[in-house]
Amino acid sequence: MKWKWLVLPMSLMLLLALTTTASAHGAKIEYTISMAVEIVATYDTGSPMTGGQVTVYAPDDPATPWLEGVCDEEGRFVFTPDPTKPGTWDVQVRQAGHGDMIHIPIGEDVATTGGGGYSTFQIVLMSTCVIWGFVGTALFFSRNRREYAHS
Amino acid sequence: MRKPYHMLIVLVLLALIILAGCGGSETGTLQFNANGEDFVRQGFVSKDGWAITFDHVYVTLADVTAYQSDPPYDPHAGGEVEATTQVALDGIHTVDLAEGGEDAPPILVGQVTDAAAGQYNAISWRMVRASEGTTAGYSLVVVGSAEKDGQTISFTIKVEPEYTYTCGEYVGDKRKGMLQKDGAADLEMTFHFDHIFGDTETPLDDDLNVGAPGFEPFVGAAQGGTLDVGMPDLQAQLSAADYQMVVDILPTLGHVGEGHCHCETR
Repeated sequence: MKWKWLVLPMSLMLLLALTTTASAHGAKIEYTISMAVEIVATYDTGSPMTGGQVTVYAPDDPATPWLEGVCDEEGRFVFTPDPTKPGTWDVQVRQAGHGDMIHIPIGEDVATTGGGGYSTFQIVLMSTCVIWGFVGTALFFSRNRREYAHS
Repeated sequence: MRKPYHMLIVLVLLALIILAGCGGSETGTLQFNANGEDFVRQGFVSKDGWAITFDHVYVTLADVTAYQSDPPYDPHAGGEVEATTQVALDGIHTVDLAEGGEDAPPILVGQVTDAAAGQYNAISWRMVRASEGTTAGYSLVVVGSAEKDGQTISFTIKVEPEYTYTCGEYVGDKRKGMLQKDGAADLEMTFHFDHIFGDTETPLDDDLNVGAPGFEPFVGAAQGGTLDVGMPDLQAQLSAADYQMVVDILPTLGHVGEGHCHCETR
């Protein structure tokens, strides 16, 4: 039963140890691997667009800026796209009345936006095929019934 | 024996109803604007110190077409637009970019009310010679005055060549060309007249001013404080170098906001 006398000193030592750890200005480093995109904006002459205003548009909402920032002295700007938003990311850079927009496909090859894309001919063709499918099905079942009626 | 036919009719009607629902056209209104920006509406000081104001800036536009391009059009590479959908504005339109006050909105050239919904990320237009009216024979007519050190020159500069501009997406404060079903969107044909005269608020060694003729070369062609010239007159009265600068800079007038365009001259 002597060991019970050791409980208090050991508890104090444990507490001291924990306290020491907490007061040691510890550092913690975690990491996640992500894909960053670096753009470099220059004028036609090759000189950098230092301080150029950058606007990034995500593929799921191309009308609303997803991120805004400024190019560094070398015309560079780095951003990390949201990996849950695959598609074409649009990046616009403007400065002093000049600008450009670049389109960066990221992740799956997903169309950004766009109209229906079907021509009138395609719509008519698809409609005809669908109608014919229904008609064919109906004729098939009606023939079976007639055959059963005759048999 | 009637039941199969009843079933057939019901199925056909069902198919038509489904198709009517699926095939409903998704359209909206697409507006085409032309904009000479504050340079035209408010005037500016040229790179060589002439305070320039504009009374009229007539441009004649034809074959104005918007595209849903895929891939996005690259004006630096040039070539044709690869479009899944395109919308054309009928007719030839002469508009005055100087119309309205200093804070007037861009000039509405026209609109298409049944444009397919989607993102219009490219536009092309031709600047053609007008066939009638006071600007007949010219694709661009610039009327205004320039003042420096008490000297005033009233100018009318007339441009005969025709230009075809093909541009990617509008570059500016807000994104343009996003057309929703039953909604409205606009595209802009922007013209940068500081490219001709330069801009005193931009450093002289900036590309803009390096490539701009300025106003001084035109002064020598004025008579009695009036300059009324076409391109043949300028070729005859300007130095070869100055005239070539004018020729070279005119194709760069057309923009989409701050975005550059590919241009072909005819």
